[in-house]
Amino acid sequence: MADVLETFLAEMGFALFEYQGEGSFFPLAQLPAWFRNLWSESNSATIPLALPEKSLFLENFLFEAEAFWASPTTVGCQSETWIEKSPDGREVPLQAKALLLNGKRVIAIFSPESEFREQLRTLQTARNALLDHERLAREIQKKEILLHCIVHDLSQPLSVMHVAMDCLAGESISERSKQFLTLGKLASEQQETMIRDILHTFADDLRASLDAGTEATASADLFECAQKVMTSLGPTFDAKGVRLSVASSVQANAQWPVRAESSRLQRIFSNLLENALRYTPAGANVTVGVEDEGAFLKAYIDDEGPGLPKDLRPEQIFGLFMKGKQSDGKAGLGLYFCRITVERWGGNIGCVTLPSKGSRFWFRLPHAAAAAISSTSRAAASSQAQSAGGGKPPSHPLRILFADDQKDIRTLTTYQLQRRGHKVVAAKNGKEALWRFRSGKFDAVLLDQEMPGFTGDEVARAIRKAESGKSRHAFLVASTGNNGPDDIRRLKAAGFDTVLGKPFRLDDLEALLASVTESAAPSHLPAPVPVGLKINFTDLVARVGGDEALLKRMIGTFLRDTPKRLAAISAALRRKDAADLASLAHALKGSVSIFGAEAARLQCQELQELGRAGDLTGADRLLTSLKEEIANLLENLRGYANQTPARPASKRPKRPRPPRKRVKHRR
Amino acid sequence: MLQKKICMLGSFAVGKTSLVRRFVESIYSDVYQTTVGVKIDKKNVQVNGAEVSLILWDIYGEDDYQKMRWTYLRGASGYLLVADGTRKATLEKAFQLEQRVREEVGVLPFVFVINKSDLLQDWEVDPALEAQIAAQSWNTLRSSAKTGEGVEEAFALLAQKMIG
Repeated sequence: MADVLETFLAEMGFALFEYQGEGSFFPLAQLPAWFRNLWSESNSATIPLALPEKSLFLENFLFEAEAFWASPTTVGCQSETWIEKSPDGREVPLQAKALLLNGKRVIAIFSPESEFREQLRTLQTARNALLDHERLAREIQKKEILLHCIVHDLSQPLSVMHVAMDCLAGESISERSKQFLTLGKLASEQQETMIRDILHTFADDLRASLDAGTEATASADLFECAQKVMTSLGPTFDAKGVRLSVASSVQANAQWPVRAESSRLQRIFSNLLENALRYTPAGANVTVGVEDEGAFLKAYIDDEGPGLPKDLRPEQIFGLFMKGKQSDGKAGLGLYFCRITVERWGGNIGCVTLPSKGSRFWFRLPHAAAAAISSTSRAAASSQAQSAGGGKPPSHPLRILFADDQKDIRTLTTYQLQRRGHKVVAAKNGKEALWRFRSGKFDAVLLDQEMPGFTGDEVARAIRKAESGKSRHAFLVASTGNNGPDDIRRLKAAGFDTVLGKPFRLDDLEALLASVTESAAPSHLPAPVPVGLKINFTDLVARVGGDEALLKRMIGTFLRDTPKRLAAISAALRRKDAADLASLAHALKGSVSIFGAEAARLQCQELQELGRAGDLTGADRLLTSLKEEIANLLENLRGYANQTPARPASKRPKRPRPPRKRVKHRR
Repeated sequence: MLQKKICMLGSFAVGKTSLVRRFVESIYSDVYQTTVGVKIDKKNVQVNGAEVSLILWDIYGEDDYQKMRWTYLRGASGYLLVADGTRKATLEKAFQLEQRVREEVGVLPFVFVINKSDLLQDWEVDPALEAQIAAQSWNTLRSSAKTGEGVEEAFALLAQKMIG
């Protein structure tokens, strides 16, 4: 029976030894073939072997085995795999196990060949995948950097063009020149949008989840976007002799708010209109319309071309790289862009051959509440109002430090800001900016990001360091073409209060500076609102130029945004993210200041200062008080908003805007 | 003959096995083959005129799949700490391993090798960081198992440090 067992163990590939001390092992069974081949041993099972001399690994393992034999554990004592080389150069994987059998100290050695190969395959696959992932991540990073460089380079001349045209607009020029100027501005804005789209499309691919929140909350006016694009494309339609018009059923003065981002919505219209123009013969019509479908608003573009290709399904037309027969020089991305963008905003898109003639391309987007018109649109509206006012000097001129290494931008921006009544000191690089800041007093500092020597980040950090311990904080604005979510986080962590996308318009900068004026001159704010007292809405209406509708929209936005801002502050506090807390508190401070909520403003200010100092002691308590203040303020504002007359369900409220003409271009 | 045990430590795919093969057998392969378990090799070198047998323990690279067994360092006279210059994260892993060796085994002579110097176009290690590492009185070398650059030097330096 013993012979059978011995043979069985050898057949199974186990080499079994009893340890006799001092490195000597006595074989308990016949030695398996692999063992004999590996160490050139005879088949004898009668001679003790000095295993540690044969294998340095076993010499090391013996320490563990002896510890186990001295105090056995239920876990046992088994080695990992090690590799020995056979005399013919083959690698033999081995494992050893220490056992205590009937008081005997036993070591079993075996070759787990198949398990080893399997483990090797699995690990090789997993590690190759990890290396591929790392490689890919590096490639993406390189492309992102390259893209940012390209965007930066493309943005520079655009900045100059914008500012130069702004300067021209302020000069005495003929009506005809003004028209040319308007066309030039539209074209440069279109180019700016395209550059941003490139950046955003790449950034979206890389950070889709990060952007999802912003996408869902942005809103734009569907018809307004359509009209802007129609104006911009008008000359092109004229040149081909195609009439472009708005459908007669459209209520031009109504509001058409949809959940979308304005610049990309314009891009959708632009792609669809260019597509319609491509297939419409001279003398025919292209008509743009919008329709209210309740929860969704629909836009359509009708052309009088040949209709949809018969061999393609409508959904194929919106596929990637899908090109029609008349699409020379086109990549087949335009309609694909439209589809992915519309679907991303929760809408859908389609096309159909019209029964009479031509085709209709349509898309529908979720209806957004009227109050949800994006802050960008409001800023633009307010800046338009400012421009209409002929660029009047601000009521509170600011002392502004402006640093940009581009001479043209520096000269033109300085000229424009000075013309608007501000006192401007210009610096040509970061080093000079820092020196000027230290030798002067400034309400606001506008810093280009990519300057030789000190970058904008470095100057901002130095400024914040210089300010630490002082009550005064300059309003720091970063001007950069790289303004993705990660960039904004980085810039805010460096100490910037806000980020201005480059190329920027002076009106946008002016709107930002207006918030500095508010915080720098509290006497011009409405009277502080003590807790429990009603807000003086008469003052507030007067403050927005008597435009009650505008005030209501501002209140609507405030009611919608403030709980989110408070939640973001709470989250920053939970994360102990001092920089984020400072920036969020600063933003909320600006909002509450508008409504004259002084107690809340001061609490925001305190939170901001705690964040900037990096010491969050007491911030929790402060936030609790702030929440109470805000709750009170929200209640007051809600009460005011509810006093507004109810709107008829079938009719959209009108908002004041310049009278629109039906856009119609004829050759 | 004097024997000295050397362990090869570092993240996975930094080139530990390739360095050993280059040093012992003067062989290099571009194909990455992961190491499972432990491989032991020997090479005799001259240190201060005396012949020393270096016992090289090529230990699998540590990652989420395989954790180091610190018992392998038992009896080691020193170790070669290896990182991949084209993957910055492997330097972090090397710093962690060095700290763990100090905690688990104590202070041992070692040489820090930043491998794959033949791929300088993909180099991710900032020269300032390399200078900073050297300033910590770490013996740091760039190496390439592919070209052989720095390989003999790294082992010779380590042998010198072990013999004292």
